[in-house]
Amino acid sequence: MTFFAKFCIPFIIGETVLFTVLAIKYFTWLRDLPKKDWKLIITNFFSLRSISALGEVISESLLHRRIFKVNPRLGYMHMSLAFGWFLLIFVGFLETIAYLGLRWIPLQGHVFFKYFVPLNGISDHIPAFDFTMDLLLLFVLSGVAMAWFKRIRSRALGMKKTTKHTFFDRIALSALWFIFPLRLIAESVTTSMYGGGSFLTGSIGNALSNILSINTLTHIYEPAWWLYSLALGTFFIAMPFSRYMHIFTEIPLIFLRHYKLQPEAKEKSYDNFEVEACSRCGICIDPCQLQSQLGINDVQSVYFLRDRRYNMLQQKIANNCLMCGRCEQICPVGINLNTLRLNSRSSMRNIPHEGRYNYLRGVDKSFGAGKVGYFAGCMTLLTPNTLNAMRSIFEAAHEQVWWADKDGGVCCGRPLMLSGEVDSAQKMIDYNKSLFAKHQISTLVTSCPICLKVFREEYQLEGIEILHHSEYILRLIKQGRLKIGYQHDATFTYHDPCELGRGSGIYNEPRAVIEAVGKLLEPTHNRKNALCCGSSVANTAISDAQQLTIATKVASELEATGAQAIVTACPLCKKAITRGTQQRVVDLSEIVAQNIKQ
Amino acid sequence: MINFGFSINRPRTIDIDRNNLRKSNEIIREMPELQACIGCGSCTATCTAGNLTEFNFRKVHTLVRRGEYQGAYEEMNKCMLCGKCRLVCPRGINTRGIVMLIKRKLGDF
Ligand code: SF4
Ligand code: SF4
Ligand code: SF4
Ligand code: SF4
Repeated sequence: MTFFAKFCIPFIIGETVLFTVLAIKYFTWLRDLPKKDWKLIITNFFSLRSISALGEVISESLLHRRIFKVNPRLGYMHMSLAFGWFLLIFVGFLETIAYLGLRWIPLQGHVFFKYFVPLNGISDHIPAFDFTMDLLLLFVLSGVAMAWFKRIRSRALGMKKTTKHTFFDRIALSALWFIFPLRLIAESVTTSMYGGGSFLTGSIGNALSNILSINTLTHIYEPAWWLYSLALGTFFIAMPFSRYMHIFTEIPLIFLRHYKLQPEAKEKSYDNFEVEACSRCGICIDPCQLQSQLGINDVQSVYFLRDRRYNMLQQKIANNCLMCGRCEQICPVGINLNTLRLNSRSSMRNIPHEGRYNYLRGVDKSFGAGKVGYFAGCMTLLTPNTLNAMRSIFEAAHEQVWWADKDGGVCCGRPLMLSGEVDSAQKMIDYNKSLFAKHQISTLVTSCPICLKVFREEYQLEGIEILHHSEYILRLIKQGRLKIGYQHDATFTYHDPCELGRGSGIYNEPRAVIEAVGKLLEPTHNRKNALCCGSSVANTAISDAQQLTIATKVASELEATGAQAIVTACPLCKKAITRGTQQRVVDLSEIVAQNIKQ
Repeated sequence: MINFGFSINRPRTIDIDRNNLRKSNEIIREMPELQACIGCGSCTATCTAGNLTEFNFRKVHTLVRRGEYQGAYEEMNKCMLCGKCRLVCPRGINTRGIVMLIKRKLGDF
């Protein structure tokens, strides 16, 4: 039996390049993983985690369940290509076994099986396989047709913007578009000469043999297979350098994720898996307010990851992001977009300065005690209404409070971290930690979600419970320590701060507090899909006017609810939204404090 | 001397003709909005780092614009990037961006 013909050469070159590059990439990425990550892999490998990872590979890499959830038509397109192609390979493999028994056949023997069937003198066809393979080919072709259509009209598939391509992407994409139509032609020509095929290749083959003479068919027979092989070979060579690298990268990524590997504040080898798992589907473009409201078109996560992957990331791209998390929340691959952006910023500018913040030694003039520590946060110090409201609440609940930063505290460190200066931020973290330890607090309450997030994630405050004031107030209400008079005619709407909602997963507590005071009216975008106020400390690139544009848009959505007041739970959001509206904007604590029943 | 609880700077002259304005011009070219500063000092009054040290943001960025770079990087390094100044600046200047830009231009990164 022969399984070689000249036309196979492009395919063979393609597969060799593909597998070599993949092997080199995976080898170096895995080799460079820090020891800690290797430990995680080894301890978790023989556990149920591997099985659940396998389940996710099937549901995500093949079926693309998450894309389906975001956008069913786009999901179908991705699924028909991925799952359809997988099935073609898998059923094709079964087909060769059915014809030839279980034996080793070189890869091109499987891929170009229809060619080798007549060549090796097999004439009995198995119709069930002919039918299944035709059906699968049709399934894939429907996806290809949608991809063509999406290029022409991205809105048709429910996307406003679609990704701009790189050079390798274009090559791979064009090759991919042609692979299946060319396969259809090659197989149809084969059936026209040798029979076989089913409703698709069979019928087209019949038609061909009616129209064309046997002489013509013999002439186009080999070239048809050449073209198919060329398309495959081109795709395979371009693939590891293009967006299609995600096809393979997503699989190890899912396993590593189940083994609890994560990106961190500093770049590490694991990030490669996340960066190259991005399919540049472009789903992250539409939710980005920098795009929709400011028309900035080159900073979104898809472009950030692309630039980072090809080592052409510029600081101004990395810096121009609100870190609002709207894209991370929707990314079907579940890439940790904020953390990756953060550690890029870190490697772009984090040169620690030895003597930096040495002045922190000796600035502590704090006194007083209390089992509850209240850290207002820099921004809250600029919203005195919140401070006063918190004071009334503490008094009404007879809470013993130690005011951590009333007379000049040190910043929590998160703004500095968000700018990538991770090591320097550590000095503030250390300062505040020792301060909390000195005052022996058991609960730490803060009004600023930015502080909250860094307290929870970076401070490691053993033995201290960290609460946002919304959680704290709700607890007081539930314990009966704070009585609130419900206002029957009061209506409020609530703006979810990014750091509190998507950042810390706190959605229900603020709502429960508001509902204890009056009626809550939800805006169009809320909870996970809430908009960013635009003034995020993570962005040092956009101008004041641009911040205002975003704030005005967000405020208009909140106004549209018809509520009497806009409530939020972050001092920065409050400041930002106030600028964009005539409507009353208040912090959660204010409406509580105004309605305390003595 | 009587302690009034505040100090004043010693009188000094800045000779703009003699100072090398190359870095200053670069900074202004990248963020022209700095020229809109009216020197109100709100940024300094609210500054978290200024509350704990002698750091004076308005003074540093004003001196840098005049071509006086001596010690500016070290001073700017005291900033915690907390962002209060940006919220109070009546001219809407992206002050955190200014801090980072001055450090990038005058420092070692
Ligand atoms: S980051 Fe996620 S959503 Fe954006 S293009 Fe990549 S895979 Fe798609
Ligand atoms: S985090 Fe927000 S601002 Fe940044 S790219 Fe994503 S959607 Fe855009
Ligand atoms: S960002 Fe820097 S300069 Fe501005 S208030 Fe904070 S510490 Fe001061
Ligand atoms: S607050 Fe703004 S205008 Fe006032 S001194 Fe500072 S930068 Fe200049």
